[in-house]
Amino acid sequence: MPDIWGIAAVFVKLGLYIGFAGSTGLIIVSCFYSGFVAPIHRVMKRQARALACLALAATAIGFMLRGAALTGGVDGMVDPEMLGLLWQTSVGDVLVYRLVGAAMIIVGLSVPRVGLPIALLGGTVALWSFAQIGHVPELESFGVQLLLLLHLLCVAFWVGIFSPLRSMALMPEHLSDAAELGHRFGQTAALVVPTLIGAGLWIAWLIVGNLQGLLFTGYGRALLLKVFLVALLMILAAANKLRFVPAMQSGEAKAARHLARSIEAEAIVVLVVLATTATLTSVLTLPS
Amino acid sequence: MKKIITLALMVALPSGVLAHSKVEETTPANGATITAVPAEIGLNFSKDIRLTRIEMAHEEHSAVSLDLGDQTSFGQEFTIPLPSNGTGTYVIEWRGLGEDGHAMQGEFSFTVE
Repeated sequence: MPDIWGIAAVFVKLGLYIGFAGSTGLIIVSCFYSGFVAPIHRVMKRQARALACLALAATAIGFMLRGAALTGGVDGMVDPEMLGLLWQTSVGDVLVYRLVGAAMIIVGLSVPRVGLPIALLGGTVALWSFAQIGHVPELESFGVQLLLLLHLLCVAFWVGIFSPLRSMALMPEHLSDAAELGHRFGQTAALVVPTLIGAGLWIAWLIVGNLQGLLFTGYGRALLLKVFLVALLMILAAANKLRFVPAMQSGEAKAARHLARSIEAEAIVVLVVLATTATLTSVLTLPS
Repeated sequence: MKKIITLALMVALPSGVLAHSKVEETTPANGATITAVPAEIGLNFSKDIRLTRIEMAHEEHSAVSLDLGDQTSFGQEFTIPLPSNGTGTYVIEWRGLGEDGHAMQGEFSFTVE
C-alpha cells in the first residue's frame, strides 16, 4: 500500500497525463482538421492553453512530491538538498522537458499563424519526457523510446478529438462539418488506433516479459485492465464510425446527439485508462 | 526488406534488465531476535542508492531520525549508528533515491530481549 505521497503522486500524474495528452491532442486536431473546426477554433485554443497550464502545475507539484517521498514529510517538497538530488537524476531531465514543452505550448498558442507548429513541437517534447523516465528507458533501447512517443502521440490524437467533435456535433447548424470531421477522423483512426494498441502491447510485453508476470502481479493485472478498457473504447469507437457518423452524413440530427453521448462515455473510459496508467507507473512495481 | 526488419528489431529489442534496487540484506536481519542492542544497523542494497532518511521507532519511544553522518552519496552498503532504547521491538524505516530517479522506501524490524 503506497503512503500518502505515493497516492498524491498518482493524482498529480493523472493531471499531467490529462494536461499534456489533452493539449497536444487539441493542437494535432487543429493542425489536421483546421477547416472543419474553424467555428470552435478559439474555444479549442482556450482549452489547450488551460490544459497546458494544468500540465505545468502538475509538473511542478509532481517534482516537489518526489522530494516529499524522499523524506516522508511535507518538508521534503521544499528541501533544497532533496530537490537538488532529484535534479541530478533523470527526474531533473524530465522536469526540464516538461517545463519547456508546456511553455512552448502556451507561447505557441498565443502566437498567430506560426504558433501552432511551435505548440505541436512543445507537445511532442513534453510527451518525449515520458520516454525518459520509468521502465522504458531501463530497456536501454532508443527504438522502444520512440515507440512510446508514437504510442503517446496516438493517444493524444484520440483524446484531442473528443471535445471538438462533441462540440461540433451539438451545433445543428454545423451538422455536415461535424459529420465530415467524424468521417475524416474515423479514416485516420483506422491507422492510428491499431498503431496505438500495437505499440502499447509491444512495450507492455517488453516490460513484463512473461505470461506469469502478466497474470499474477498487480502490475500485470493493471496492464490487463487497460487492455479491457481499450476493448470497451473500441466498441464505442466502432459505433461512432459505423453508425452515428454515417447517419449524421445523411443529415440525422438525432445521430449527432448520440455521437456526443458516446464521446462522453469514451472520455470517461479514457479517464479510467489514464488513472490506471498513473497507478501503474507510480506505485505498482514490476514483476521480478 | 529482411535487413530493414532485422535492423528494426535490433533497435527495438531491449538490451538491459529491468530491476529496481532492493534491500538484499539488513543487519540485524528482518524479524530477528537478539540479546543486546546493536551499536549500528546495516543495509545492503542490490544496486546503488542514495539514502535520504532513516527513522527508528521503538515500542516505548516515539520515532526518531537516525543520523546518516557522511553517508550522503550513492552506494550499496550503509552502516548507521543506532541509539539504544533498551529491550523491545525496533522498527527501522528507510527512504532513498535510486540512480534512475525512483524514490524507494522500506522497513525492517528486530527484537531485543
